[in-house]
Amino acid sequence: MLETLPQWLTAWLNEDWFNRLNYITNGKHLAWYASFRFTLIAGVAGAMLAVAFGLLGATLKQSKFPPFKLLGDIYTTIVRGIPDVLFFLFFPLAFEQTVEYFSARANCSPQELANITAWPPCEAAQWFLSTNEYLILACVSLGLIYGAFSANVIHGAMQAVPRGQIEAAQAYGFSNRQVFWHFHVRQMWVYALPGLSNVWMLLLKATAFLSLLQIADIVLWAERLGAPNYFARVGPVHPDWRWKYYLVLFVFYIVMAMLSERFFERLQEKASRGMELAR
Amino acid sequence: MDWLINNAFVQDIIILARPATFNIYFALASIPLGFPFALVLAFGKNSTNPIISNLSRGYIYAFRGSPLFIQFFMFYSIALSMNLAYWKPWGIDHIVMHPLFIGPLVLMLNTAGYSAEILYGALRTVPKGELEAAQAMGMNRWQEFRSVTWPNMIRLAWPAYTNEVVFLFHGTAIVYFTLPVINEQKDLTNKAGELFERDYNIFLHFSVAGLYFLVISLAIFFISKLIYSRLNRHMRVDVKKSMAFKPNYLR
Repeated sequence: MLETLPQWLTAWLNEDWFNRLNYITNGKHLAWYASFRFTLIAGVAGAMLAVAFGLLGATLKQSKFPPFKLLGDIYTTIVRGIPDVLFFLFFPLAFEQTVEYFSARANCSPQELANITAWPPCEAAQWFLSTNEYLILACVSLGLIYGAFSANVIHGAMQAVPRGQIEAAQAYGFSNRQVFWHFHVRQMWVYALPGLSNVWMLLLKATAFLSLLQIADIVLWAERLGAPNYFARVGPVHPDWRWKYYLVLFVFYIVMAMLSERFFERLQEKASRGMELAR
Repeated sequence: MDWLINNAFVQDIIILARPATFNIYFALASIPLGFPFALVLAFGKNSTNPIISNLSRGYIYAFRGSPLFIQFFMFYSIALSMNLAYWKPWGIDHIVMHPLFIGPLVLMLNTAGYSAEILYGALRTVPKGELEAAQAMGMNRWQEFRSVTWPNMIRLAWPAYTNEVVFLFHGTAIVYFTLPVINEQKDLTNKAGELFERDYNIFLHFSVAGLYFLVISLAIFFISKLIYSRLNRHMRVDVKKSMAFKPNYLR
């Protein structure tokens, strides 16, 4: 990696620093840096799904049809009482099992299905999930959990839009659909953004759980890289350095929180332009 | 009665009762220290001294901005790396490295950050008129705190603080992902995971664990509501409305 550096730079860095730089650019470390993509993908995709589920949940909560309303209310209260990590683990594992259940019914012999001792009943029904498949399930899981939070935010924001604005739109002769999409939903974002920014902060922090689903994410790599390293040929390479790697992650998340705070400030300004009172 | 006891659901409720006490222990052990620390941080953030104010501000920002999961890993690995140099020679390693000590410690540091922000917000909204009245009466700073700032602050912060306690309780679910499990000292997530690995019945075990969390969260709300109505017994506040069991996205 460092062979590509120009000669003058190598000379300027003394040997000590050169070795350190060499160490933090070795293959394992590069794999660690690359694994940040999992966190970022899970964050962004999870957030987009959370907004989608949030809109769906808010629609259910506002529905005039009682079963739908009940469904929406159950969805939003269930995450209130249950820790996010429990649901985060539950959904992918339950999904995997459900798929395996149907796969077992199609692929296993009746004898195997009759006396099930282990899961899945036969080898053919086993579904080995790859990292990418787990990542997709993790994103959906995050979307479901934080969708419930954002459903509440969006539900509240829909009610916060001043009646007068809706009535003004109706008075101008816009159709019901136009009033809903171009006025009600458009204005809703202004009131929902502060809450959604809070949900995003929670979601961002929940992306640290990816390693629980066997995804080689930043936390798992930090553990691997920091663990005391010993080679029979070289002797001890380094003692327990895990705290250094976790400190980097600690700082990474704080920086991410700072950046998202800035981002949401900008977004809020943009969404509420022309509406001095709403700010 | 036998059919009831032998029911898989009832069996799970019985098995998970003991692990639930570990979650309750972690939450209960971290609050008595976390709350005073949060109070100190809130006053620190409100301080006119720039050093104290910035330090508290930084602490609150750092602990609110990073995941509890990472904080657990970080503090546990820091304690682990100091084990040979400090804890062992001092002869306190079996206390410091014990999950029942370090778990509440990290939770305490975490909840202090979140609670401090809540208390700071409440501190800023203490009615100015009452503070001025206290000063006009010639109260010293302690008297002012005791009779004006504290009662107002705790009343304003209570609903949000309850929410934080519920989040803290939910946070106890991840303690044993980081810390070593000693013998049968398992919490709800851990035990539910172990039961799941035994018979792969995720729907049953995780639902029962979730039910425990839900019921205890409701209990926290119930107790907190009683305290809140006592705090507000001289005020006209709609206790039911401000303490509703609704998903509060603010943390």
